[in-house]
Amino acid sequence: MAMPEMEMTKQQNALTAAARRKRPFASTFKELYLGPIIAFILFLTLWQTIPLALGLPHYILPKPTDVWEATIADWTLLSEAIRITIFESVIGFLLSAVIGIGVSVLLASSKILERSIYPYAIILQTIPVVAVAPIVVIWFGAGFNSIVVISFLIGFFPVISNTLMGLNSVDKNMDELFTLYNASKWQRMWKLRIPAAMPYIMTGLKISCTLSIVGAIVGEYVAGIGGGNGGLGYAITVAAIQVKTSFLFSCGIAAAILGISFYLIVSLFSKMLLGSWHESAMKSEK
Amino acid sequence: MTIEQKQAVYFQHVSKVYNTGTVALHHFDFPVKEGEFVSFLGPSGCGKSTALRMVAGLGSPTSGEVSVFGRPPEELIKYTNDIAFVFQDANLLPWRSVLDNVLLPLELRGGSKKEKRETAKRVLEMVGLKDHLSSYPRQLSGGMRMRVSIARALAAKPKLLLMDEPFAALDEITRQTLQMELLDIWKREKMTVLFVTHNVYEAVFLSSKIAVMSARPGRLSSVIDVNLPYPRELSMRTDPAFSKYVEIASASLESHESRKETV
Repeated sequence: MAMPEMEMTKQQNALTAAARRKRPFASTFKELYLGPIIAFILFLTLWQTIPLALGLPHYILPKPTDVWEATIADWTLLSEAIRITIFESVIGFLLSAVIGIGVSVLLASSKILERSIYPYAIILQTIPVVAVAPIVVIWFGAGFNSIVVISFLIGFFPVISNTLMGLNSVDKNMDELFTLYNASKWQRMWKLRIPAAMPYIMTGLKISCTLSIVGAIVGEYVAGIGGGNGGLGYAITVAAIQVKTSFLFSCGIAAAILGISFYLIVSLFSKMLLGSWHESAMKSEK
Repeated sequence: MTIEQKQAVYFQHVSKVYNTGTVALHHFDFPVKEGEFVSFLGPSGCGKSTALRMVAGLGSPTSGEVSVFGRPPEELIKYTNDIAFVFQDANLLPWRSVLDNVLLPLELRGGSKKEKRETAKRVLEMVGLKDHLSSYPRQLSGGMRMRVSIARALAAKPKLLLMDEPFAALDEITRQTLQMELLDIWKREKMTVLFVTHNVYEAVFLSSKIAVMSARPGRLSSVIDVNLPYPRELSMRTDPAFSKYVEIASASLESHESRKETV
């Protein structure tokens, strides 16, 4: 019985919300944010002083100020690279979401289909995408198409495995309820299995959205082309050859920020979609 | 009443053996007449839920036959709205509002949209939830969830209402209120109710007839006709006649248990 637990969490939420309201802003700030901020400043200071103290040249370990300068100096290059990588990974992600969910629904609609194909889906999932990337390039040519395909491939399997798990996780009693009302296979799919799978699908999408950026960057390593069309991955390979270490740091940080933003956007979307009912998206109410 | 009543449910020599070898039900013979309120009363493992589920076509007997209004239950489920089932937990879809949960059976059956909404609102009013149409299940208490579940069962206008320990998880006060309301609805809608419980007081308070069952193997041990007048009030619980029936039912439960221990 999940009900008493839910009552508990509801109560706890209400309590913490009440406690939060009573506390003045200053103490909330102190408890929640002060620690991480101090740690961050400490980290930056150490990072700034250690290369100075050890006399490390900027091409081995650049200081934060070096990274900042490199970012400013090559901002046009970097911003263009970011823009391209965003574009590629968004398309790769959308493809893996749409095709992943579509294929899962199709597989789940037939036990025979699922049983015969799902094992191969698992095997395919274990193949490192980096290993097949060159094949993709041979098939789709260097550049945008291949990068999107690689980004799609890497984000596709988490969506499939999570969606399938969700579609098969339907509560037995709810399933029987649909049997009692003589629901057709597709009524069951649309009105029961897909809504019930939503939290799982959202988990899959959260995993796949960060992977799609990894995919895009890996894709750019192997299939990136210059001429103002190279993304972050391409910028990284070029900077590495030129030993522009500071700029490499800028690219790495940019990729991290991109991943985090992507994740936050999908999480927000998931919260909006599941907010009305699912426990994991449940926050204090009213 | 001496008028010949039609049979709503008929268990004919029904046995159920699960794959594990457990005999859930052994040679179960029992008729339920139309308009009756019958409780299956017994300890856990006596096959009372198994019997109820067979009436809904959820699982078929290993041998024997269950018929509902003279037809096999699977057929009724396929072509009619005659059977409704209320589960032990409210079993609501958490992503649907109260109104949409009640609309579900109507949606699955098809029909005009406006009419469906009217029906759903009517049954929700019947269970006292017309002010919570747009609430979600998680915002409701256990008792209110069960009300929604009952409203959903009533929405398709069933002739036979099957209830599997619907009030077992509720607190005593909520349970009593819902029992009263259930009796009201039963009288008003002129349904047949089959009610599974392990609570002797509940069985006596609600039923016109109690089928006492015993476990290992599950079978019918006695049938008690409860000749207490309807409508039944809460005050009836202190009535000597009520106590008498509780005593009879308890004795019937116990005699079987002790008999088994001496074997």
